[in-house]
Amino acid sequence: MSIANTFYNVFVKRNSVYVTTIFAGAFAFGVGFDLGVTSFWDRWNQGKQWKDIRHKYVEAESD
Amino acid sequence: MLSRLPQGALKNAARNVNASRSAVRARFASTTSGSSSAFQTFLNSRAALASATLATVGSVAWYAHLYGSLPFFPEVHANSPAEEGLHPPQYPWSHKGLLDSFDHASIRRGYQVYREVCAACHSLDRIAWRNLVGVSHTADEVKVMAEEVEYEDGPNDQGEMFQRPGKLSDYMPPPYPNEEAARSSNGGALPPDLSLIVKARHGGPDYIFALLTGYTEPPAGFEIRDGMNYNAYFPGNAISMARVLFDGLVEYEDGTSATTSQMAKDVVTFLNWAAEPEHDERKKAGLKAVILFSALTAISLYVKRYKWSYIKSRKIRKCCLVD
Amino acid sequence: MAAFQLSKKALSLPPTVRTLASGVPSASLLNLNARAPAHGDHHAHGEVGPRSDTPAAWASKISTTPVGLVSTNYASAKPTGVFQQRLVHTTAVAKDTPQVPDFSGYQAKSESTNRGLAYLMIGSLGVLSASAAKSTVAEFLGTMAASADVLALAKVEVELASIPEGKNVIIKWRGKPVFIRHRTADEIAEAKNTDWKSLRDPESDESRAKRPEWLVMLGVCTHLGCVPIGEAGDFGGWFCPCHGSHYDISGRIRKGPAPLNLEIPSHDFNDAEGKLVIG
Repeated sequence: MSIANTFYNVFVKRNSVYVTTIFAGAFAFGVGFDLGVTSFWDRWNQGKQWKDIRHKYVEAESD
Repeated sequence: MLSRLPQGALKNAARNVNASRSAVRARFASTTSGSSSAFQTFLNSRAALASATLATVGSVAWYAHLYGSLPFFPEVHANSPAEEGLHPPQYPWSHKGLLDSFDHASIRRGYQVYREVCAACHSLDRIAWRNLVGVSHTADEVKVMAEEVEYEDGPNDQGEMFQRPGKLSDYMPPPYPNEEAARSSNGGALPPDLSLIVKARHGGPDYIFALLTGYTEPPAGFEIRDGMNYNAYFPGNAISMARVLFDGLVEYEDGTSATTSQMAKDVVTFLNWAAEPEHDERKKAGLKAVILFSALTAISLYVKRYKWSYIKSRKIRKCCLVD
Repeated sequence: MAAFQLSKKALSLPPTVRTLASGVPSASLLNLNARAPAHGDHHAHGEVGPRSDTPAAWASKISTTPVGLVSTNYASAKPTGVFQQRLVHTTAVAKDTPQVPDFSGYQAKSESTNRGLAYLMIGSLGVLSASAAKSTVAEFLGTMAASADVLALAKVEVELASIPEGKNVIIKWRGKPVFIRHRTADEIAEAKNTDWKSLRDPESDESRAKRPEWLVMLGVCTHLGCVPIGEAGDFGGWFCPCHGSHYDISGRIRKGPAPLNLEIPSHDFNDAEGKLVIG
């Protein structure tokens, strides 16, 4: 039993399962993709964004 | 276009050359000779089409890269280069790249330069105090800054206007009440509003930076009127605004040494943010869109090939016509 | 011209060979079914026997009519190429078996892997499209939300310490007056002890005032939108001068044409700074 057959039997065989998987996958993808892009963006722009320098000024306020 | 080639088309191109020669066509009149040279068959092959397209597109792209304009399409300018002013050099802005966000520490310093230097003459109409929150200052800091400014509000119960301290929803206070006041204080010249100045000037941040740091003595022979200043980057070279940025003019709270170019860089970054507050989100969304739509394109090409494979590999067999 | 037509007709021989829609050359008046003489050498003459390339009787019919030969075809396959009627033929009929293109490049190595991959790809297309569509819809709906400058104006802060007990304050919020009443203990007791279940718009005082000493209401009469007057009316609350609606000290309608109690805007207390935040 190859991976392809397992995939077919688990997800595709019943259309209801297939469509549900697609929509659940779309939801998971939306969240995951957002997280992934954001983490890449934050790494790429490290030290430049407001959230990277915010702590300096918030601490200064509470002093 | 290349996607329309069948699987391994380029790889099999050489084989197809031979195959097409031996393929039998129904010929109804024999007026041409069946044999053609290898060169002719190469001309008709897909490999030739692909390589010719590649060569054409490539040479046009190379020319455009080298000379900055498309070949055979001359650009027409109403201004001579002297009238346009010197072209600014390209500076390595911290937000220049496709994926680079603004340097928010620089925006914060730039706001300080704007507030202490530029705001004496230039308004910033389209930026409200609340816009600074979460960009360069905390909400508490901005509230304090806003409350230092008195705004006219009203009418109250008696129908009179009254003064009140600023709120987050108020916009940056203008230095002059109206255009006439601004002109009369500046020798007839109107200091432009800076909200969108980076977008409104050819060359964008490069131009503003070059202008702020580009004040020199006029070259010999250049007549300049009283009250005007020479700046090579300004169209016409005579500008009403005098040089305003000098080393050590402001004192940065984060200890950055306030040289002229540092202040110019910071204030241009701030003005660039003011013109494009959506900049960071835009680039992030662009990154997402490029990834998502590339993946969608690649998959739809696969699906297209998949759907067509049935049609393309269909065989029609004549099997049962025997009497 | 007529002479030319005539000569053309005379010179144009009726067709001897036609091409069927199926692509098979047909020369029906020839006895195609005749067997070829048995040759000793079978070089490229094909099999000896009945010709296999003549159409079956049920597939086509050839009849001789006054206008010439008429070939009727019952098979409805579409022509697969461009065929030209040949009036005079000088070349031999191309009889080679048609070469079928090589389809092996299209053939999947493993059928089950191919099926799995195809469904995976189509599923991924659905996943990405659904995600993109969701984002698109969300963005479009987002444009209908209040813009940032409106939201910035939507909150109003009021210093509570500046309002003495037993006083009304009217402030502007989103273009409407808001009544803030610092109620006395007597007024609170009166508002609470009212038999509210029998009122026109039954509401308890607890559900209207988050804190009993502070009553925050929109100062718009629920009848026709006038602004009621404070500390007036038969019930010690508000009185609308337009049509005479009386509200009690909890802002509930007691008498007059108004159908509903005065509306309570969403508000919160900021204890750290002693402020009331409306909105």
